[in-house]
Amino acid sequence: MRYFRAVLARIAGVFDGHRADDDLRDELRAHLDMATAENVRRGMRPDEARRQAVLASGGITQAVEAVHDRRGLPWVEGVIADVSYALRTLRRAPAFTAVVVITLALGIGANTAMFTLLRGTLLRPLPNRDGERLVYLRQSAPGAQERNVLFSVPEIADYRGASKTLAAIAEYSSAVPFTIVDSDGRSARLRVGVVSGNYFDVMGLEPVLGRLITRGDDGPSAAPQAVLAYQFWNEHFGGDPNIVGRTVRLNDKVATVVGVVQPAPHYPSRTDVFVNIVTSPHHLSATMVTGRAHRMSELFARLAPNSTVEQARVELGGIASAMFQDHPESYEKAAHYALTIAPLRQALNERAALMFWLLMGAAAFVLLIACANVSNLTLMRGVGREREMLVRAALGAGTARLRRLLLVENLALALIGGAIGVLVAFAGLKLMAAFAAQLSPRASEIRVDGVVLAVGLATSVAVAVALSFIPRIGGQRGLALPLAPTGGGRRTTLGRGRQRFQQSLVIAQVAACAVLLTGAGLLVRTLGKLQSVETGVRADHVLTVDLPLQGDLMREVMKQPENLAKYELIRDRVAALPGVDIAALGVAAPLRSSMFEADIKAEGRAVPPNRATPHAAVRMVDPKYFAAAGIPVLGGRGFETTDRRGTALVVVLSQAFAKQLFGDADPIGRRVAMTGDVLRFSPFSGDWRTVVGVAGDTRDHGLDNDATLTMYEPFAQDLIVNGALVVRTSSDPTVLQPAILRAIADAFPRQLIEHVATVEQIRDETVAPRRLNALFIALFGTLAFLIAMVGIAGVLAFSVSSRRAEIGIRMSLGADAARVRRMVLGEGGVLLAAGLVVGLTGALFATRLLRGMLFGITPHDPATLGAVALVLAAVGVAACWLPAARAARVDPAVALRAD
Amino acid sequence: MADKMDVKQGTLALMILKTLDVLGPLHGYGIARRIEETSKNRITLNYGTLYPALLKLEQEGFIKAEWGQSENNRRAKFYALSAAGRKQLAREAREWHQTADLIAAFLAPQKEAL
Repeated sequence: MRYFRAVLARIAGVFDGHRADDDLRDELRAHLDMATAENVRRGMRPDEARRQAVLASGGITQAVEAVHDRRGLPWVEGVIADVSYALRTLRRAPAFTAVVVITLALGIGANTAMFTLLRGTLLRPLPNRDGERLVYLRQSAPGAQERNVLFSVPEIADYRGASKTLAAIAEYSSAVPFTIVDSDGRSARLRVGVVSGNYFDVMGLEPVLGRLITRGDDGPSAAPQAVLAYQFWNEHFGGDPNIVGRTVRLNDKVATVVGVVQPAPHYPSRTDVFVNIVTSPHHLSATMVTGRAHRMSELFARLAPNSTVEQARVELGGIASAMFQDHPESYEKAAHYALTIAPLRQALNERAALMFWLLMGAAAFVLLIACANVSNLTLMRGVGREREMLVRAALGAGTARLRRLLLVENLALALIGGAIGVLVAFAGLKLMAAFAAQLSPRASEIRVDGVVLAVGLATSVAVAVALSFIPRIGGQRGLALPLAPTGGGRRTTLGRGRQRFQQSLVIAQVAACAVLLTGAGLLVRTLGKLQSVETGVRADHVLTVDLPLQGDLMREVMKQPENLAKYELIRDRVAALPGVDIAALGVAAPLRSSMFEADIKAEGRAVPPNRATPHAAVRMVDPKYFAAAGIPVLGGRGFETTDRRGTALVVVLSQAFAKQLFGDADPIGRRVAMTGDVLRFSPFSGDWRTVVGVAGDTRDHGLDNDATLTMYEPFAQDLIVNGALVVRTSSDPTVLQPAILRAIADAFPRQLIEHVATVEQIRDETVAPRRLNALFIALFGTLAFLIAMVGIAGVLAFSVSSRRAEIGIRMSLGADAARVRRMVLGEGGVLLAAGLVVGLTGALFATRLLRGMLFGITPHDPATLGAVALVLAAVGVAACWLPAARAARVDPAVALRAD
Repeated sequence: MADKMDVKQGTLALMILKTLDVLGPLHGYGIARRIEETSKNRITLNYGTLYPALLKLEQEGFIKAEWGQSENNRRAKFYALSAAGRKQLAREAREWHQTADLIAAFLAPQKEAL
């Protein structure tokens, strides 16, 4: 209590120090007067009395100091004094302060932003209970170019029966399209996940409202139940707290909403509504339940206690190989079926991880360059302040105190820079989340939280500490030592050690900059290469509209005549609009997935045993589709209006697919047919169809992929699973868009209209994530570039101004302006060249990380490396030019008289 | 002149408290004079010793300070014992006596042992 009270009094003392000081002086003066008066009373002469009293006092000033130390908290007062001193000093050097603060703000801001990104998507634990124990299973067939073939009911049963390392396996299937019909009769397409009863338990998710689907909801006799995803609940139902118990119409089923699930990342695709299996009749059909090749489900599992992912991988690998051997008819050898198992957290960020770490690395580089630059600036400023430091040391400031002063100054700089940087990162949060959403399902979890702020603060403090100690590297003297006279003149240059250190900093900056620019250059060149790739579709002036079937697809598909009539009516109405050149129908818009793929066999041609059965996208298109999409018919004919149901079955093959099936032989007139297990589960027939034409190749799976192998069928001849309108217009298609959509709505008011986009936009969608990647890396590269150039120019300018006398002497001895300029340029050029050599060598290694992100170029692309070297050299020389020109303008007479 | 003695912090505080207890409110000069006289001038208090000690006691709440008029009409700061100070004085005096007794008892038997 007593101690506490004293501390409070001392803290108060910090603040009213001035008043208390005056008070004390009065008190001491009174004491002195009384002592003097006493001495006089004892018979001393007044002046002697005064002298004795002062002698006995032990010194007024010392007493004030002693009380002073007792009154406040000397250490705190010292720091406050340092801070206010630091702020004053910085205010007196606004240019220096601004440059340093901005540089640090950029560096710290970039790092905070990237860390926020990294933390939200990669580092933060999953919101799922014990999320670290979750694994994601995937079956692939690399031999048939299939990255994910999903799992069938018999396969799932096999894994469930044999696995001991997995505690439970849950199913999730988004393979069936769903529409929701709202109470007002309007419908919308929905992303529905059909899940097994144990799904939510395995995933470790909790309801925020009502309950989740449980084991009791499995099986054919359960009632249809729906659980809303958190986001969908908010978007579609406005977060209605009374949603539980309401019914929703999903396709032809009426399902009861039993609850809302907590927010969690959706994988492998975004989900609006989770339903139990009975809600999707297709999932309970006989072929689905017994067909080993009828694969519709994604699998998630929870590791058994004490099991590791590694053990599960070994065990499941064994189960899978046994399965492949026992059922050769379902696992074609040449397709190389394989099972992979990965921690869910890793699977979620499969595409994001490398990119995000690279960006973090790039940001760290920017910060390093920024620090190098700032410490260069501080070094140079330090020379000018050496006198100030000497004076302070002479007046009794200890080395520790001086060092503290520097640290406080740097802290002020770094914290201001850091604060601005964090604000910038905060402002860019939305943009960043949008960027991350292209790569990671966890983008919605990106936010600035305490950890992010703490890291931002820690970075700032670390930067300040580094800045306070780096300048001592290469400095051979302590702070107090230079008291020794240096000829009485003002020192204006750095010692040799520090000069060398400063030069290494510049070299490091240029090198780091070269690495970043090379990375950015490679990504930008990749974009350029992609832009020049032909999609095979003429992109200009083509609008596409998706017009899906509604309701239970399996039943809708059987209504072929009605569907055909409907789509043809829509097409003809749109074709009649003014400004429309061609209106055509297809199962899907050009460059979008055809929704259906099949194994295809060619009559009379056996597949070599080591090759997988040819596999192609099956695309139903009407006669004008090729013209509307600008896909050339290279041989034979396209489709005619006479290619309808009941006439001879015909197909057109894409060029690459024709070549795969028939080699160099002429495919026209040959016959092909769909084949394989899939025919048993789908309503399509394996009848022989005659090839009547060959069409140009298209790239439906992105510009960086090979041409999509395609078999075209007449839209009017086979089943219709979906409809899309392809409209070629004579002018800007977006102008005609409203008229087109109105025509469709007039014809069929209830028809769903989705994915209205020009072909250009579809093409762009596939490049968008890459463009953002390139943009971010290029942004960092440019930042680094700017900072490094300011750095090199600054160092040279300083070198010139501190060598004015030397330059003056040289000039008076006969060196002309050109020679002086060359000397300074040479000095900068050496640094630049050294930095470039180091940087480009480093880039050769660093860019290997980018290999997977490049297209059409190697990581060692000579053009990129050359361009980076050229740009850096050119701008670097330009940056050196200013100080060099200034050096050349030195007037020897003035320079020599200056000091 | 008698031997000069150093004053220890705790001792000085006790002396100040006792002085104020005996003489009532007093200014710094009076306190110093009283202590010097009581010690028969074996102690001299310079300002740098006395005033920090006064401030410490004030911060701890044992004494209160107030400006007033001295006997010969001089403005001076007067220190007075607070209730807490009175208790503290009693406690410290008791402790001091105990310590003194202990030390005395400790030193005494050694003579007997001879």
